[in-house]
Amino acid sequence: MKFDMPPISLVRSVLEWMMFAVGMQRVFRKLNYKHPWHSWIPGLRYYAFGKTVELPLSGALCGALEVVLFFLSTFFSTAGERAQLAGALLTLVGIITLLVYSLRLDLRLISIFDLRKRWIILFLLFNGVAWLILGFKKKYQPQHTAEFMEEWEAGTEPAVTGTSIARRKTASASGISIDVRERMVKDFGKKRYLLKDIAMDIPNGSLVLLLGGSGAGKTTLVNALIGYEKADATILLNGEDVYKKYDEMKYRIGFVPQQNLIRGSDTVIRTVGDAAKMRLPRNVKGKERNQKVHEVLDLLGLYAGSEGLVSKKSGGQLRRISIAMELVMDPELFVLDEPDSGLDGVIAREIFAKLREIADTGKIVMVITHTPDRVIDLFDKVIVLAKDSGRVDRLAFYGNPEEAKAFFGRDSMEQIVLSVNRKEDGGEGLADQFIERYAELTREREGGEAA
Amino acid sequence: MKEKDAKHTGRLVQTGIYLGKLLRMFIYQNDWKVLPMGAFIAAVVTFVVGQNMFVTQEGTFNGAFSLTCVCIWNGFFNSIQVICRERDILKREHRAGLHITSYVASHMLYQLLLCMAQTVVTMVICNMVGVNFPTRGIITPFGEVDMAISILLIIYAADMLALMLSALVRNTTMAMTVMPFMLIFQLVFSGAFFELQGIAQKLTGFTVSRWGMESICAIGRYNEQPMVTLWNTIFRFKDVEYMGTKPILTLLAKVETEGRVDEFLKWSGENSRIAAYASDPDAMLLKWAALLGLILFAVTVAVISLEFIDRDKR
Repeated sequence: MKFDMPPISLVRSVLEWMMFAVGMQRVFRKLNYKHPWHSWIPGLRYYAFGKTVELPLSGALCGALEVVLFFLSTFFSTAGERAQLAGALLTLVGIITLLVYSLRLDLRLISIFDLRKRWIILFLLFNGVAWLILGFKKKYQPQHTAEFMEEWEAGTEPAVTGTSIARRKTASASGISIDVRERMVKDFGKKRYLLKDIAMDIPNGSLVLLLGGSGAGKTTLVNALIGYEKADATILLNGEDVYKKYDEMKYRIGFVPQQNLIRGSDTVIRTVGDAAKMRLPRNVKGKERNQKVHEVLDLLGLYAGSEGLVSKKSGGQLRRISIAMELVMDPELFVLDEPDSGLDGVIAREIFAKLREIADTGKIVMVITHTPDRVIDLFDKVIVLAKDSGRVDRLAFYGNPEEAKAFFGRDSMEQIVLSVNRKEDGGEGLADQFIERYAELTREREGGEAA
Repeated sequence: MKEKDAKHTGRLVQTGIYLGKLLRMFIYQNDWKVLPMGAFIAAVVTFVVGQNMFVTQEGTFNGAFSLTCVCIWNGFFNSIQVICRERDILKREHRAGLHITSYVASHMLYQLLLCMAQTVVTMVICNMVGVNFPTRGIITPFGEVDMAISILLIIYAADMLALMLSALVRNTTMAMTVMPFMLIFQLVFSGAFFELQGIAQKLTGFTVSRWGMESICAIGRYNEQPMVTLWNTIFRFKDVEYMGTKPILTLLAKVETEGRVDEFLKWSGENSRIAAYASDPDAMLLKWAALLGLILFAVTVAVISLEFIDRDKR
């Protein structure tokens, strides 16, 4: 019987592949990855690697490239000369990309294991050996596994379950009635909750403060309730469904974003005038429209100097122009994302005083701000959002500012935010507790009202 | 005023509003600077290659290529940043009811006006430098009118391709990084200097440079012009000796003495005709249609890509 020895290069490749897979499997175990056997499957292993080091996009790209490169080499090896040349070029581009992205992953792994940067040389020259050492040597342990995996698992399951807040059986016919059951996204095939269980009725004429720490879901909630990013929710504005009639309702909702997204190369009056032309109904006559523009400019103290260029205006004036562009269409719901950012106390107060005036005309004005205490006396209602320990954004409170202080047992809005913020973010980490308490409170209230 | 079923501004009105904005930006945002910049580039290039343009085949070829490059350059710079620099503003306005088609249409109209101004400037500069435009046109009775239409289409097609790129990328840095590659693609795949075959040859159909070059050469009546390269090449070998004589010098002297140099140049031109540069009305219309096709393609891609602007991350 004749036995042909396999070529040495093939043996070396198989050996390297085995070392890589075995080492990686051990490293996955150290990183508490649920399926360490993924290291044996080309493509999937990079995807898993990316997840464990919190670079899922890079991991997915490397995985895809690994598979594509394999098929490229198989496909083009049987093709003609020109196709082989094209294949070689594509392969070269693919290999360079794979190398760069896998370097990113390796560097992140080195950082997680708190190793010296020079380890990257070992990864580059003897990849399999590097993985074996990292996987089998006990002295090499990841320094912050939990944090990374927690980040990956964040939002996949609400921590506070079975205690959903009470919902009114009939929605209010005036004002805005919010019932967000959940807002979910799919992240690499994984369901991730962004919002859950947020319900309230806000009467017309209210100036409402939307409170919460960074990343507590304030903008997500705002986008959901103005219909821009739809959630599993029912949002009724003065009895009409925002989602079902979005094309019409978007002209009745004003949203002022955090940044001043205005062209600097136009005059103030033209900027606001164009916004009016765009957003007011077609049957509004030119004279009436101009009058509206002048009224809004006057209300916001922009009339003087309205012929000047936007780019020449101060920070406070820019915020007011941004507000004017939305206000000119006479919205029923007016949402502002940090209208006071970057402004000093006096100007900020001026802006909030204007918002109070706007609310007093019967509109609902909802404001996100990180410095609420300097103007809290102007607000009618406070919505407090908090991330539960499962990293899902929930409603921790809705009521007037004084009730909020009593509910949280704190003297200021900033202290309230601190109380629900995570400990890692410098807060007290009491979000779950307040979410549950508020849910109970709503059930008691609803029960009482029903009785 | 609350009219629940009130209609809001349609696409046409929105286009007008945005065109007004863009025209004001022309003044306030120094967009007007593209005109003198374009004039300067056109002046420099035509000063170098313009004297023999439309006189000899070589002069026409070099001049047409240079003029096409100037037009593409001007077109690219007109609009390469116009959308990406205000992407966030556009996103805000789109969510507030702006139609993307209106937005792109307003840019198309504005850029058309800009390109028309640049065409006039380029034609004036060429005249000032002394470029002898053909008097006889192919489509219209006037050569200068045909030439102006071609230049306008080249600038506008390049402009719209840059507008497409500006719509595809997220920021100005990316736009300015990709633009040189687009320029190189135009130069390499113009088919003017490199012998291209197969797929590479087919790719020339997607370049403004190819159709631009062909248009200018056709209007310039390239195939009817004399060719001097052959005469110059033979002249270079005039001192070559063969069996104690200089036969090439003798031949050249004979042609010169008989006053048949022009006849020789014309004859060599007739034998170096290029089919793509034929001054044929149908072929000419095809070249213009190809440029219009590129414009349509670029605009369609720009609109489609911007329709997804809401998916931009916050």
